[in-house]
Amino acid sequence: MTRTSRTVRAAAGAALVVPALVLAGCTGGTAGETTAPAAEPDPDATLRLGLVLEPTNLDIRHTSGAALEQILVGNVYEGLVTRTQENEIVPSLATEWDVSDDGLTYTFTLAEGVAFHSGADLTAADAVASIDEVVADESIVGHDDLTGVASVDAPDDTTVVITLSQPNQNLLFALTGPAGLVFDEGDTTDLQTAANGTGPFSLEEWNQGDSIVLARNDAYWGDPAGVAEVVASYIPDYTAGVNAALDGSLDVLTGVDPQLAPQLDGTNGFTLTRGKTTDKFILGFNNAVAPLDDVRVREALRLAIDHDALIEAIGAGTTQYGPIPELDPGYEDLSGVAPFDPARAQELLAEAGQEDLQLELTIPSFYGTTASTFLVSAFHDIGVELTVNPVEFSTWLQDVYANGDYQLSFVNHVEPRDFGAWANPDYYFHYDNAEVQDLYAQASETIDADESAELLAEAARIVSEDHAADWLYTGETIVAVGPGVSGFPVDSVSSRIDLSSVTIAG
Amino acid sequence: MIRYTLTRLALLVLGLVFASVLIFTTLRVLPGDVAQLVAGTEGTPEQVAAIRQGLGLDRPALVQYAEWIGGIARGDLGRSLLTGTPVAQELASKAQVTVPLGVLSLLVALAIAVPLGVVSAVRRGKADGTAIGIAAQLLAAVPVVWAGMMLVVVFAVTLGWLPAQGFPRGGWSGPGEAIRSLLLPALTIGVVEGALLLRFVRSATLQALGEDHVRTAAAKGLTRTQALIRHGLPSVGLSIVTVLGLQIAGIVVGAVVIEQVFNLPGIGRMLVTDVGARDLVKVQGELLVLTGIVLVIGFVVDLVHRIIDPRQREAA
Repeated sequence: MTRTSRTVRAAAGAALVVPALVLAGCTGGTAGETTAPAAEPDPDATLRLGLVLEPTNLDIRHTSGAALEQILVGNVYEGLVTRTQENEIVPSLATEWDVSDDGLTYTFTLAEGVAFHSGADLTAADAVASIDEVVADESIVGHDDLTGVASVDAPDDTTVVITLSQPNQNLLFALTGPAGLVFDEGDTTDLQTAANGTGPFSLEEWNQGDSIVLARNDAYWGDPAGVAEVVASYIPDYTAGVNAALDGSLDVLTGVDPQLAPQLDGTNGFTLTRGKTTDKFILGFNNAVAPLDDVRVREALRLAIDHDALIEAIGAGTTQYGPIPELDPGYEDLSGVAPFDPARAQELLAEAGQEDLQLELTIPSFYGTTASTFLVSAFHDIGVELTVNPVEFSTWLQDVYANGDYQLSFVNHVEPRDFGAWANPDYYFHYDNAEVQDLYAQASETIDADESAELLAEAARIVSEDHAADWLYTGETIVAVGPGVSGFPVDSVSSRIDLSSVTIAG
Repeated sequence: MIRYTLTRLALLVLGLVFASVLIFTTLRVLPGDVAQLVAGTEGTPEQVAAIRQGLGLDRPALVQYAEWIGGIARGDLGRSLLTGTPVAQELASKAQVTVPLGVLSLLVALAIAVPLGVVSAVRRGKADGTAIGIAAQLLAAVPVVWAGMMLVVVFAVTLGWLPAQGFPRGGWSGPGEAIRSLLLPALTIGVVEGALLLRFVRSATLQALGEDHVRTAAAKGLTRTQALIRHGLPSVGLSIVTVLGLQIAGIVVGAVVIEQVFNLPGIGRMLVTDVGARDLVKVQGELLVLTGIVLVIGFVVDLVHRIIDPRQREAA
């Protein structure tokens, strides 16, 4: 019973997702929404949604992890801005914003008539207090994304002004995440087990270890949600998830395991959608330790991998030959940097004097065995003996992430726009390249988005040409959508699911 | 008898204390901690340290142990590190799934093991008796996960008689639905546990058949089966009670696996999640309560044994 291609968003691991991915080649090109059936939507409907990974608590302020963002951001909590499934930045609580020419002043105009679920009115002071808190308190998720914020002010009740000490190209995008969420100032709600936001849904109940129930917020300031209630059941076991869809317990199942997907395709009226993600499945190299401090060894390992065959084995995903995925700024096709070439790989190993190389791969066990088995075989073909060390995610966090005590690592980094890891020599890759760090700093401070993306692309190419890691593939996510359901998001559902536009035919 | 009870009670308390030390130290040996998981893969060492301090995890282990035991002495199992929810409250809510699941599993196990075990003993050496014995050997070797998946394929996916997974959100407010959702998982655990128990019942029955008073009864004109039913079954029953503690432990282990397979929000699944999330305060409480249940059952079984079984009383 092997379960493959498990992308995981570890319980609290920001970078990880448990979901499934999907086959290369998105359906129909225009990702967006599933086509609506002819029947009228039922405004009183309950959407029964199957998700994989449950948040460990609801405190999105202090707990990292895609599981929390997936269910809460945009549905229960809102920020000044948000992002679409294609990662475009769009208005949310701020209906418009203006950036000064020097890139130092961001002026947001708040929507009118916004109230929290508790009934309190939203004011600019709430937004100021929320953002100030992130800037001041390093234990709050997203604190590092708001470095360089000099002050946050509310000149009047509907205006919020953020002033920077230096331009930050990433600021707006950071504000689409947990760092930008607006909370009710002075709220006494216990945010670990309850929630109080401004979103189209309020948190009705959380049955720990089972489900989260959202109820439509009828006082919502924008367009009301299309269903009255959402019951999100957490089903960590992929087979149990598919069974839940098959036995009629679910209207939609996300994170369908690619190996099990055929069971649902067309069964009981379910259709499968395949969506893009920024889930980067990274074969991490510890660049600081021998023999991986030798670029020839790193290149040899990359050339040994037939990425297309790996994706076929996993049943989902697209190739990604550099650190930036297709949905992020700075992406370019770098497939020429590491083509499948085992003969050349063996030459490189011989040049490096590493003909009898033995390496160990540390991999959280929830990723299954497909990828690691594939790598063992691929490396065997170039004379490298790979041992696989499957560990609990907690163990991975301590040994690999915190202590850097590893040779090779396999993990899924889900965060969009996280190139910064390659410009941080302390990060567990231990990749230390002054040129990359400099380019990344320039890209962050460049006001023009296109110029910034070009600088990122340049940095990304260097990282890939240095073979700082192997980007095995970008995940794709499979969602099984039941009959009568329309408007369910297709892309990025491992980190965000906008539930407000979903409808169910009566 | 009173002296025996007190001695046995002291043993029980000692067992619990020993278990608490073992649980506490074992959990502290696990790599990784809750602070690292909360900070995730964007977290800095400083953030992790701050979270650790906020949760009181930076204090000496002995202080944390004393705090835990002190709470238990006051009847307080503590609060989850991640949610602040009282551990006792979570246990009580998840017990609504696991306790009925355990009881149903036990009933299934007994329903399989007692009649078949007795028959296979009485019919020893005959074809049907041997067949039962072999079937039990095979079933006992079946992995619980596989058994569960087979049952789902047959009864839920193919026939559609029972739900394949999950527990109704209303819980026991709809008893029919709740029971239906526990049938397949209970059957899974029950069949595997029952096969183990069957062999035990068989040997206990064989022993009873050889006992003097049963043989005497048979000599007085009863058939072997009649003699067994009238005179031998009480001692067989006693033997079953003796292994009940072991059975419960087996069912708890089965529940951990089966609640994953059937996606049931019970203690087993909670335990797996909490260990993964390193919510140590919660795991400590859960494990201690489970251990306590098994120990208390053992205690009660021993007392009952002494009261029922005259030979033990004489020996004292």
